[in-house]
Amino acid sequence: TGGDVEEEVQPTAKSAEDRKAAAALSSLDSNNREDESSAKVDQDAVKNAFNSLSTAGSKQAEVKKVKVDAADVALLVDELELTKAKATELLKSHDGDAVKAINAYVAAPAA
Amino acid sequence: MDIRVLRPSDIPLIQHANIENLPENYFLKYYLYHALSWPQLSYVAVDVSRPAKSAYDYPKIVGYVLAKMEEEPTDGVQHGHITSLSVMRTHRRLGIAEKLMRQSQQAMVETFGAHYVSLHVRVSNAAAIHLYRDTLGFKTEKTEAKYYADGEDAYCMKLDLSPIREAIQKEQLEENGEKKPEEKG
Amino acid sequence: MPQTLSTREANLFRTVIRHYEEKQYKRGLKAAEQILKKNPKHGDTMSMKALIMNSQGKTEEAFALAKEALTIDMKSHICWHVYGILYRQHKNFDEAIKAYKFALKLEPESQQIQRDLAVLQVQIRDYQGYVQSRFAMLKAKPHLRQNWTALAIAYQLEGSLEQAENILTTYEKSMTNVPLKTDQEHSEALLYKNTIIAERGDIQRALEHLESDCKNCLDRLAVMEMRARYLGQLNRKEEAAKAWRALLDRNPEHPEYYKGLIEALEIDEKDEAALKAIYDEYAAKYPRSDAAKRLPLNFLTGDSFKAAAKSYLTNMLDRGVPSVFANLKHLYSDEAKKAAVLALAEEYLKEHKGSEQANGDSSKGVGAALYFLAQHYNYHLSRDLAKAMEYVEQAIELDPKNVDFHMTKARIFKHQGDTAKASEAMDHARRLDTKDRYINSKAAKYQLRNNENEKALETMGLFTRAETVGGPLADLTDMQCMWFLTEDGEAWQRRGNTGLALKRFTTIHNIFDIWQEDQFDFHSFSLRKGQIRAYVDMIRWEDSIREHPFYFRAALDAVKLYLDMFEKQQAAANGTNGTGEATNGDDAAEKKKAAKKARKEAQKAEREAAEKAAKQDPNKATAKKDEEPKKKDDDPNGLKLAATTDPLGDAMKFLDNILQFSPKNIEGQIAGFDVYIRRKKYLLALRCLNAAQALNPEHPRVKEQYAELQKAVESLDDAVSVKVKEVLKAKFSS
Repeated sequence: TGGDVEEEVQPTAKSAEDRKAAAALSSLDSNNREDESSAKVDQDAVKNAFNSLSTAGSKQAEVKKVKVDAADVALLVDELELTKAKATELLKSHDGDAVKAINAYVAAPAA
Repeated sequence: MDIRVLRPSDIPLIQHANIENLPENYFLKYYLYHALSWPQLSYVAVDVSRPAKSAYDYPKIVGYVLAKMEEEPTDGVQHGHITSLSVMRTHRRLGIAEKLMRQSQQAMVETFGAHYVSLHVRVSNAAAIHLYRDTLGFKTEKTEAKYYADGEDAYCMKLDLSPIREAIQKEQLEENGEKKPEEKG
Repeated sequence: MPQTLSTREANLFRTVIRHYEEKQYKRGLKAAEQILKKNPKHGDTMSMKALIMNSQGKTEEAFALAKEALTIDMKSHICWHVYGILYRQHKNFDEAIKAYKFALKLEPESQQIQRDLAVLQVQIRDYQGYVQSRFAMLKAKPHLRQNWTALAIAYQLEGSLEQAENILTTYEKSMTNVPLKTDQEHSEALLYKNTIIAERGDIQRALEHLESDCKNCLDRLAVMEMRARYLGQLNRKEEAAKAWRALLDRNPEHPEYYKGLIEALEIDEKDEAALKAIYDEYAAKYPRSDAAKRLPLNFLTGDSFKAAAKSYLTNMLDRGVPSVFANLKHLYSDEAKKAAVLALAEEYLKEHKGSEQANGDSSKGVGAALYFLAQHYNYHLSRDLAKAMEYVEQAIELDPKNVDFHMTKARIFKHQGDTAKASEAMDHARRLDTKDRYINSKAAKYQLRNNENEKALETMGLFTRAETVGGPLADLTDMQCMWFLTEDGEAWQRRGNTGLALKRFTTIHNIFDIWQEDQFDFHSFSLRKGQIRAYVDMIRWEDSIREHPFYFRAALDAVKLYLDMFEKQQAAANGTNGTGEATNGDDAAEKKKAAKKARKEAQKAEREAAEKAAKQDPNKATAKKDEEPKKKDDDPNGLKLAATTDPLGDAMKFLDNILQFSPKNIEGQIAGFDVYIRRKKYLLALRCLNAAQALNPEHPRVKEQYAELQKAVESLDDAVSVKVKEVLKAKFSS
C-alpha cells in the first residue's frame, strides 16, 4: 500500500536551464556506474603487468628515532596551537630540541 | 585583453562576472562540471591591463563562454551547446563575444567532432541575436515558450559547423598528402 | 551478524538500500521499520535507517542510532561503513577514515567501501593513503583502465612522478587493440602522461612523446601549445617560431604567443622597431585583433610611442570602444606616457569638436573623448576631480541617456568622498537601462557604500529569482554572490550592526567550505570522463582555494571586527573592576544591558523558530514548495555571533586560513599579531611579526607591533615557560 506514503518532493527546478543543471549535478554522484573502457584489454596482460609492479611503494616519511619529551610536546601544542602529531613531528625534525623547533617555526618563511 | 582557454582557477571570477551581468546564475559546482567534462570548450577574456593589487591576484574575467557537448543528443548527432556567454558592459565593441565563440566552435569540432552548436537566447535580446545570427551565422530553429525563469520566451538557434569540419579534413589531407578513408564519429 | 533475517526481511533489506540510493527516503524508512518490528536488534537495518535519517537532515538522531547499531553489531561492515559516511558528512574526516578502514577489514572485498575510503583520502589530501587504496583497487580490478589512471594520479599527487609514468606505460603496453581516434579517455591519458614527463623535467623526451604518441590527440590546441613551449625550452628556435606563428594564426589575442615568437626570433627587447614589426605583421593580417595594436604600447618609447598611441587611440575613440581607458591606464606608471596619452586625447577632442552630430552616436568621437578625459582625471595617478567632473558633465550634456557617462560621474563623486551623491548618480544610470544587470549591480554596490543596505537589497531584488524562499538575500546566498555578501557585510559593519556583519562574513566562509566540498564527486567523475589534466588542475587550485581575495577580504574584515568586539568587552569589563563603583560604571552597565538584550533576542528567535517547526508536520510535504532537508538557519540575524563571549576564539577560524593561505599579505600578518598578542600567544605573535617584517620592515604598524611585543616580553611573569622566554628574549637582544 503506497497510498499513505508521501513521495519526496524534489525541489522544482525553475527553468529549463535549471532543470538541466540540476540533472547534470545529480548524476555526478552516481558511483554505481563503472564504464568499461572502449579499448579491448588483454586480461592476462594486465594481470601480468600488475604483478610486475612491486608493492605500492609510496613515499614513506623517514621515521626518525628521536626521543621527544612529552612536556615539550605539550608546550608546543599549547603555545603554537599545533596538533599533537604535528608538534611531535616538529620536535623530531629538530632532534627533540624544543627551542630549536620553536625558532624554526616562528622564523619568517624564506622569500 | 587576453583570450584563452578557461582554467579551474578562473571559476570564482567567472561566476562573479556571470552574477554581475546576467540573471541566469549557477553554483560553482556547475562550472566545475563544465570545466572537468569538456575543458577544451570554454574560453575567457582576461583584462591584462589591470595593475596587481596583491600577491594573490587572480586574472580578472571581463568575458567568458561556457560551453559543453550535449550529453544525450535527442537527434543522435554530436553537437555542442552554449550554456552561458557574457561580456562586461565596460568591454563591448572589442569583438570579444565573437572571438570567444569562434575559439569554442573550433574546439568543439576538433576535440568532440561536433556537427553543429546550439544555444538559447531571449527573444528580446536584440544585441545577442544580432551577434549570433548576423555575425556568426546562427539560424533560428524554433521558439521555446517561457524558457526563462522570469517567463520570457527563448529562440533556440543553431549553427552548422560543417565549414569547420571540412576545413579540418582538408588540412589533414594536405598534411598527409594522400587520400584518407572517411572516419566514423 | 548476530541476527539473520528471514527471506522476506532480507528482501525488504535490499529494498531499503535501493530506496536510499534512489533518494526515496520515506519509503526506505517504512521498509526499515517493517524489518525492525520483527528484528528490533538488527544492526544493519538500524544503520541504514540512520543513514536515511541523516539524508533527511536529522543529524543528531542519525549519529545516535548508528552508534547504537554498532554496539549491537560491532562486526558488521555495514554498520562501520555507515558510521564512516556519517562522520564524513559532518566533516570529521579522521574518524571517517578510521571507520572505513574498520569496515574494509571486516569486508575486504567491498569495492564500495574501498572506493569511499579512497575518495575521502584524496579529498583530505592523504596522498600516501590514497596510493595504498588505489593500489588495492587496481589489484582487485586490473582490467579497468580507470584504475590504472587513478593510481598514476595518486603517485603524481604524492610526488612520485617516475612511478606515475611507469603505471601509465605499463597499462599502454598491455593494450591489445588500438583505441578509436575519438576515444577521449585514451587521447587524454596520453596527454596526461606527457605532462608528467615534462613535470619530471625531461623536455626532450616530452617533445618526442608528443610528436609520436600524441600526434593524433583530440585536444589540438594543447598539442600545439605544448609543442611550441617544448621547442622554445629546447632552444630549437626556428621550429619554435613556426609553432608560435601557427598558434597566432589560430588566436591572435593571446599575449603568450607573441612573447613566445619574439623569444624564438631572438629579437632584442630593446629593439623597438623589430618588435613593432612583428606586431604590425599580425595587426595587418588580423585587423580585428586588439592585442596586436595594444601590446606595442607597452615597450615603445618617445616618438614611436606617440605615433602608435595616436593611431590606437584615434581608432578606439572613432569606434567608441568604452574600455579604451581601461586598456591604457597601466601605462600611466610611466610619466612620459601618461603625459603623451593626455595630450593625444586633448588633441583628438579639439580636432573633433564642432563635428558632433545632434543625433549621432554619443559614444563615438567627441563623446568618447570627453568620456576618456573624465576617466583620465578620475584615475588616481592623474587625479583632478574638478576637471573630471567638468568633462563628464560635458559628455552628459551631449547625451543625457548614456549609461557609461553617468557611471563615471558616480565614480567621481565616490572619489570626492560623497557616497550619497555617488549612490544617487549610479542609480540614475541604472534607471537608464533597467534590463541590464551590470548597471543594476553597480547601483546596488554604490548604495551599499552609502550604507543603504535595505535599498541595495531591493535593487538587487529586481534581478533575483522571485520564487526563492527567503527573498533576494536567500537567492544571493544560494547563488554564492560573493561581492554582495562582502559589501553588505562591510556596510553593516560601518553601521555598527555586528551581528549582520559577522553573519555575512561567516556566510562567505561557509561558501568556501561548499566550494571545497564540491570537488568530492569529481574524484570519481573525472576518471569516468577521462579528462585527467583538467582534474589535476582542479585539485591544485582547490589546494589553496582560500588564498582568493574573495576569502581574504571577508576573513580580514571578520578578524578586525572580532578584535573590535574584544576591545569593547575588555573596556566594559575594566569599567566595573569588582570595586563596585567606577567612573565608567554607567557605560559598563549599558554594555551589560545590551549583551543581555542580545542574548534574550537570540533566545526568543530560537524559541519562535522551534515553535514554527513544531507546528509543521514533518510528514507533510505540503507546506512549502521546496521542502528540502536544508539546514535551518538558527541565527538569521547573527545575534548569536554577536553575543559571543570569546570573540578572539571565534576569529581563529578566519585567521588560520588567512595565515595559511595568504601569508604574503602583510595585512593578514598584522591582524594575526593583534589577535595573538591579546590571546597571550606570544610565540605566534612573534611569528606574525617576523613574517610582516620580512614583507615590509618599514611598515609603521609593524614597527608599533615590534614595540608592543618588546614591552610584553619585558613583563612576562614566572608562569611562562623558560624555553618560551628564551625564544622571545632572543628577538629583542641585539
